[in-house]
Parts: sequence; C-alpha cells; structure tokens
Amino acid sequence: MKNLLIPILFLITFFSCEKEISITVPPSAMQYVVEASINSRFPLLNYVFISTTIDYFKPDLSLNGVKNAEVYITPGIIIGLDTFYNLANRIRLYSVDTIAKIIPALDSILGPFSGVYMNPVQLTGNSSTAYKLDISIGNGTTIITAKTFIPKVIPIDSFEYFIEPKNGSDSLGKSFVKFWFYDGPERNNYRLAVNVSPDSILYGWGACKSYRTFDDEVLNNGKIPYTFFRPFNQGDTLNLYLSHIGRKEYLFWQSFGKADNNGGPFATPGTVSSNINGAIGSFTGYAVDYKQIIMK
Amino acid sequence: MTKYYSFTFLLFLVFTNAFAQNKYTLSGELRDSSSGETLIGALVKVLETNKAVSTNTYGYFALNLPAGKYTVAISYLGFQSRNIKINLDKNVSLNLKLAPKSTIGKEIVIKGEREDKNVRSTEMSRVELSGEKVKQLPVVFGEPDILKAITLLPGIKSGGEGGTGFYVRGGGPDQNLILMDEAVVYNPSHLFGFLSVFNTDAVKNLEVIKGGMPANYGGRLSSILSVNMREGNNQKFEYSGGAGLIASRFCAEGPMKKNKSSFLIAFRRTYIDILAQPFLPKTAQGNAYYFYDLNLKMNWQLGKKDKLYLSGYFGRDILDFQSPINKNVNLNFGWGNATATLRWNHVFKPKLFSNTSFIYNRYDLFNDFKFGSNGFNVRSGLNDWNIKSDFTWYAADKHLVKFGMNYIFHTFTPGIASGAIGSINIDQEISKQYAHEFAIYALDEWQISQRWALNAGLRAVAFNRVGPYEQPEFDSDNQKTGVVKKYGINESMAFYPRLEPRLNVNYLISDESSIKASYTLTYQFIHLATTSGAQFPVDLWVPSSALVKPQEAQQVAIGYFRNFRNNRYEASAETYYKKMLNQIEFKPFSQLFFNANLEKEMVFGQGEAYGLELFLKKKVGRLNGWIGYTWSRAYRQFDQLNQGQAYFFRYDRTHDMSLVISYTFNKKWTGTFVFVYGTGNAVTLPVARYPYRIGYDAITNEPKFTFIDLYDKINSFRLPDYHRADISLTYMHKKTSKWESAWNFSIYNIYNRANPYFIYFYPDLDKLEVKAYMVYLFPILPSVAWNFKF
Repeated sequence: MKNLLIPILFLITFFSCEKEISITVPPSAMQYVVEASINSRFPLLNYVFISTTIDYFKPDLSLNGVKNAEVYITPGIIIGLDTFYNLANRIRLYSVDTIAKIIPALDSILGPFSGVYMNPVQLTGNSSTAYKLDISIGNGTTIITAKTFIPKVIPIDSFEYFIEPKNGSDSLGKSFVKFWFYDGPERNNYRLAVNVSPDSILYGWGACKSYRTFDDEVLNNGKIPYTFFRPFNQGDTLNLYLSHIGRKEYLFWQSFGKADNNGGPFATPGTVSSNINGAIGSFTGYAVDYKQIIMK
Repeated sequence: MTKYYSFTFLLFLVFTNAFAQNKYTLSGELRDSSSGETLIGALVKVLETNKAVSTNTYGYFALNLPAGKYTVAISYLGFQSRNIKINLDKNVSLNLKLAPKSTIGKEIVIKGEREDKNVRSTEMSRVELSGEKVKQLPVVFGEPDILKAITLLPGIKSGGEGGTGFYVRGGGPDQNLILMDEAVVYNPSHLFGFLSVFNTDAVKNLEVIKGGMPANYGGRLSSILSVNMREGNNQKFEYSGGAGLIASRFCAEGPMKKNKSSFLIAFRRTYIDILAQPFLPKTAQGNAYYFYDLNLKMNWQLGKKDKLYLSGYFGRDILDFQSPINKNVNLNFGWGNATATLRWNHVFKPKLFSNTSFIYNRYDLFNDFKFGSNGFNVRSGLNDWNIKSDFTWYAADKHLVKFGMNYIFHTFTPGIASGAIGSINIDQEISKQYAHEFAIYALDEWQISQRWALNAGLRAVAFNRVGPYEQPEFDSDNQKTGVVKKYGINESMAFYPRLEPRLNVNYLISDESSIKASYTLTYQFIHLATTSGAQFPVDLWVPSSALVKPQEAQQVAIGYFRNFRNNRYEASAETYYKKMLNQIEFKPFSQLFFNANLEKEMVFGQGEAYGLELFLKKKVGRLNGWIGYTWSRAYRQFDQLNQGQAYFFRYDRTHDMSLVISYTFNKKWTGTFVFVYGTGNAVTLPVARYPYRIGYDAITNEPKFTFIDLYDKINSFRLPDYHRADISLTYMHKKTSKWESAWNFSIYNIYNRANPYFIYFYPDLDKLEVKAYMVYLFPILPSVAWNFKF
C-alpha cells in the first residue's frame, strides 16, 4: 500500500486543496492506557506509563498521565509449562513525581512525565524471564494486569556503512548503513528502534527517530541483513536497539505502527491490539542488543 | 426446496407447451448502413399482428408468424425507420440496413435504443448508454469515461470524487460483474481509480442491469455492466482519435472484405510521465507513471449461418520510481487486464440462434523492487478460462426461450515472491487457488396475453474449490505451526451447488404505461479482499472455501413505467428491497497482500438495502437528457464489528440526484450540462485519542510522544454533501467528405464546490487544539479535448 502513496500523493499535490471544517464529536467514555516495558539491558527503559483517553477535540495535548497508582512488576519462575509469580519478589515502581521530590535536579526533566512509574535501582530485566504487571488505581477500584516475557537476546553480528561522495566533488555526503544478525530456526519477532544522537542513553522508547516491527516470516534461519533505505548524514552517530520480542507484543507494535501511519484518503479505522487486561496498551519485554555506529 | 421444485415445474410447463402450428419464421439481421455495425435492441414489429421483437446483442431477430402478407416496421432511435412488405409463404430472412438520421435538425436523438422498450419489455432495473452519448458528457482531464457516466444514472452511485468505482443498490464494488465483450474485467480502472479502462473510441454501447437479473447472467450479487466493443466499419476505412489533457487516442477500422469482415484497433496512452518531467526536481527525474490500453476486434461472416468475432483488450499501468534520497532504491510497479474473446454465432434454424464464446481473461500485478545489489519481485493476480454457450430459441410467437451453459476455470495467484537479499535467496509462493464454476440456465420470455408478460428463468450453479493446494496451519497468534494440509489435484475442498430462480413480470396498463415486478436470487463465489472503499491494484480476489461461504442476495423490485408523447419521453419509478448474506469485511489493520492466512482476517455478516428510484428522460429533440433521483438506505451487520450492531454501509447515500441536459444550438455547437447531488458518505471518525510511545529528547529537552486515535461506532459520521455542476461545449468543424473534427471544452465543477475527498485531523501543539481539515480533490477544472475522424 505504501507503494501507492507516492503517485496518489502526486495527484493530491497537483490537484487537491484543503480547508478547515468544523466537526462535532460527542464525548467518549474514558479508558485507561498503559505503556509498560521491561528489558534486559537498560534500567531506564523499564517503566510503566499510565494515562487515559482524551476526547478528540478537547484542548489538551498533554500526556494526561495518571498519578497515585500503585504499580508492581513481579518476575516469574517458570517450572515446566507453568509460570509462578511470588509476591515476595514483586518490585514497586514509583511515580516520577516521587522521584523528582527525592532528586530535585530531575524535576525539570521529569515534570511533564507525570503518570510514569519506574524503579531503575531495583528493577532490572533478565532474558528468558516472565514478568507480571499489577496496577491498582483509586485504592483498588480499577485493577489492571498484564504479563510479558523477555526472550533471549539476538545480537547484532556486524555492520557496515558506505559514505557516498557528493556529486562531482571529493567532499563526503550521505551514509548508507547495513547490519546483520543471526536468526535461528525458531519463529522470532523483532522490534528495531533507531536513534540519531551522540547521547547513547535513551530516555524512553519514544525518544528514538524511527522504529520497525518485523518477523522472520520471509527471511528465517540465517545471517539476516538489514538495510536502511534512507541514508544518514556523514558524521551522524547511529544508535541501534534491536530487540527480540514475543508474538503478542509483536502483534501489538505491528498494529500500533499501522495506527500511527493511518491517514489520508484510504485510512482504515482500527484499534490497536492489546495484551493488557483492563486497559489499552502493551506490556512488552525487550531482549535488547545495542550497537553504536559513528559514521566518520 | 419446495419453491425450487414449483418453479422448475412452472418452467417445464412453459417449455413443453405445444407451440407448433403451421407457421413460418421471419428472421434476419439489422445493421447500420454507414458503418455496417450491427444494431442491438432495435424494434422489429409486424403491423398487422402487432407482434414485435428486439434484435439481440448480435443484431439478430426472429418472429414466428402464420403464412400471409405483412408489413414489417423496423425502428431504432437515431435511425430512419423502415417499413418492409413481405410475403411470408416460407421462412424469410431479411438482412437490412438502417440509415442514421441527420444529427442536426428536429430529430436530435439519443442513439441506440428501442423506442418503447421502457414500457413493453419485461426487463426492469436496466439502463443503457451509447459510447457516443458518453463522449458528449463533461469530463475531467479531457478524457471521456463510461464508468463515470453510468454513475449519472439512478441507483448507481459513485464512490466519491474522481473515482471510477460504482455501487449499485447497496452492493459493494466487487458485486458488479464488469464485462467487455463477455470477458470479465477484474480491475476496471487506470490511474489508481481515477479513469476507467474503457476507451470510448472502441465502445459501441453499454448496459447496466442493477436488478431483475435474467437467468443468463450470474456470478455477482449486485449488477452486470456489459460493455460491447464496436465491430469496425465494414464499408470503408476510417481513422479517428483525439487528444485530451493527459491522454491521446487513435482508432483505425475498416473492412477486411467489404460487407463480410472488418477490424478495429484502438490505442490510448497517457502522457503524464512526459508532461510532468519539467516540473520534477532533478532527483525525481527517473520517476514516471503512465498507462496504455489496446483494443482489437475482428469479425468474419462465414456464410449465411455463421459469424466469427475475435476481440481482445490489453491494458497496463506502469509506475517507475527511483528514490530521490537513495538512488539505489528502484521500484517498478505495474498492473493490468488482458482479455481475449472468440465468439461464434451460428443460426441452426431461423428459430434457433446460438453464440458460443471462448474467453480468457487475466489480471496481474507485478512489483519489482531493487535496492543496491538486493532485489525482489512480487507477482499476484488471477486468470479465467471460460467457455459459454447461449441459445436463443424463438419457439413460438408468444415464447422466446433462452438457455445455455457456462464453465469457468479460475486460477488465483495470491502472491509469488522471488529475489535475493544479501546472500539469502527468497523464493516464496502462497499456494495458488483453483476453482471450477459451472452454470446452466433456461428462461422463457412469455407474452401471456396482450397485457401480461413474464420472464421466468432458473439458473443452476455449482462452485467447486479444488486442489492442488497447500494450506499452512496457523496458531492463535497468526504464526505458522509448521503443519501443512495438502490437497491433491482436483481434490474438492469446498463444493457449493445452488439454484437461482429469476422472475420478471410485466403488466401493460396501456400502450404507454406498465407495471413491472421482479424477484432474483443470486450467489457470488469469488470475493474482493479490500479494506478500502475504492478498488486498488493490490487488492486480491479470493475464492469461496470451506470457511468463506458464497455471498447470497435476494432482491425484489416493483416499478411503474410510463412513456409520453410517442415515446419521446420516458419515466419510471422503481422501488427495491435487497437482503444480502455472507457478506465479507476485514478486521481492522488486516494484512491483505501476501498473507497466506487471509481467510482468518475476514469477518462475515449480512447486509440490507432498500430504496426508491425515479427517472425521467427526454430522448429526442434539440434539448434532451434526463433527471434521476434515488432515495435509499444500505446497512451492514457483523457480529464481530461495531459491537454486533448494524451500521450504515460506507456508500449509503440517502439522497442521490443527477441531471443531464444536452442542447444542440446549431450545426456547430452542442452543449451539455450536468448537475449531481448526493448525501455525504458515511465515515468512521475518531472519538478520542491517547498519547503513547513516550520519550524525552535530551537535545531539545522536550517530551516526545505519539497520539493514537481511538474509534467507536462504524460509519456514524457523514461527510459533507456532495454536489457539483459541469458543463461542456462541443464545437464541430465543418464536415467534409474526408475529414471531420471537433473540439470539446469542459469545465468540471463550475461553481468550485469543495467536495470532500477525505478528512484528516491535525493537533496544533502551539494553540493546544485539534483541527479538522477536509481535503477536496478537484476545484473548478477546465479541460479541452480534440477529436477527429477521417
């Protein structure tokens, strides 16, 4: 479908016009939304963000986070086909408002992120481990639960980049990047996040520049190349986060990607799939491998 | 089943009625004297008995009469009528030619119709247009288009601004059977739906059956659009063509042997790729889009009883794309239809006419993608081998019996991918799907009395989905389990035998008015996989299977038909009710292309549609045209969608009106005015949003997140109403014996109405508000086209 967008956009560009219109949308019932992630490498990327839906035309473009929730993540123990979650092992996550009170220097950064819960000191994720999320809002009037699993890490094996000379000159220009990883014979699902920044620390998955969710349906069991069609600039520092994720999480992020790019004349109204009970969203376990490429 | 047996018994009675008396048959063929083209639907009437018959698709007619002397009146709109005296003391064959009337003067007419067909025929819910009329209508980009033209007729709705998709009585776009010389055209559009594949230079006439479908048609629920190509002038060589803003056409035709055989070849190509080049940036110079199509037709008269027709179509849309940011990325994307039809007309006896057709049709899509040394290509499509035999038996003066058979072998290619990425070779194919579709039918057009006429028919159909096929098994997370179920060659996977009774009744109130009613039951065994309202090149056709049941529709219609002033005006009021079962929709965000588990993306439900269609047409005079109005409702209900509640079909349109007026000012100037109005399409809009995928940008010190829209009820909003007016003026240069040419000046959307194409929303973070914007495609749009003939 993306292939069609180019000529259609051409037509629309040449002939179309637009004007602002007024539409009345009735108020909708509020729903809770949860974005929860746990990974095997970066404690700062273990967080739970709780928010609510907002009426479409309500003049509120904030994150609309939910404060005063009790949030716990419990690692599971897998015995045979069953997973057991021991309450004694559960770890409480704290609102960034609380963290900001403890460390005032972080207040300006964390201020807009009310509704985010984390515990980078105690909560670290491990590969091949299941996790359970428990959220209680309004003293238990709303209970939200979810489970995920961090699979084993599939490392980035190698990479290469090629810097294309500028037209007719010796100066350097665009950088074309490719990397490889080994995909095993089992069915695997991946989420790739890419950030262009000299800063290797990622403050939330949303800080990245681009994302892609894919599986090994077409390319399976071998040294798999990944080529970026869009070139980067010479001198860019590329941060690659290749995560091995579970199937339900893959289905969520795949539908999320479609919802995020859903627009134009052929938009399909749809709702992203969810693996959270009692809310919209996903609890995703990321088995992350990270590679930094500085394209000199 | 009782109703089927009763119906079959009724047919048996009809067919076995002893017709035979000592009668003779008057038969023959009617042609246009200037071009030799056969005349379809002309009226042949015996004045002494008042008996009449229409010529069939091949210009053939037959009448059974007692021996005697008769005056036969032959009339056809736009042609000079003829009265022929005959002495019927044996079977008589008349091969007659009618001369076209002057196009200037008192008798300006819409060509190509039997004058009183509206009232006397049992047919209802049926509309016709000539290729010539289509050319007179105002156009976009200077390119006449028959699919846009038919949406000006009542009961047929356009999908929206600019598109060629059409929707009949609450049906979806895949529920229309589109035929070109009997070959199925699976994707009727070029330019992503903005223009149709039909080159009007090659089109003789078209007919749309939107209800009361006779038993000789089947395979789709909602309508039949049958486009007949011209045969080519068998009197003299002629060349015609034209140039519009985006495309040019050329057509050559002539006799291969005068009066015996002729050919026609028509070609059309766009020059968007050439015109757009100067406006493209250097980085985009390698990009090009164009389409072309080629129509070819030949026919041979092989004696008094046999005639052979060979016709074909080949069309392609091509998109070459080179990425402006990465010159190593190339895309070559193309799609198109190809059809070939070989038809053999044979007159066994004057009373028994047959046509046997061998048809091949194909729709395919290719997508070649290269990036550096990597690349892969994807192919998909379908093709049919089709044999069809239709017999018309002029059994008695009150009975015209049609019977025949049709066998189609379908091959569906959902996707073949091959290529190499790095050192890994890609060689994947979603198993092809095969199916046999077989139908036999019989119908009787029975003139019961002076006032009552009946067209009763029965169509027996069978669809057999067969192997070879490999069905991979998927788990609940849509992941292959590794288990594959295999079906052998011709092993039945799903078999659906069905009976389709058809009934049309006409009660003639007077010579100028009648009441008609119809009932049809139809099944559809192949389905279009699309999530969009429009039809796209990547959309796939899929066959019925064990899971995907055949779509089913029952329709009843009743109408009042009235002609005025010696058939110069015709009017009708029709009301209909249609119930549809096993309707198909796709789950939100379904992956349709290259999906081996496509059936699991489907949900199944039902539909309902009803409405009232009013139509008034003035057929002759300097001022002619029509006005049509439809009030209608169309719903869908799926247990898995919209919380199981019924919702408006996307193209439910409460009010739909079209006005077409043509006026001939003088020998040089003709003008046409078109006005259309329709209630806005039903759309689903977001009711809420939520922030997601949050992060903090350490460089800008700002939070980053994405808003995701949340939807609730399906199609619960309405786009603004659609209306526009178009005008065209045609200037005819002075005609010489060797050359004629005309300029067509059109203005589309003369009062610059902003008609909605789609709506999008934009959150203005600075002003803290979400704004709605409506994109409209065509503002006031003048165009010019030049047509010639020599």
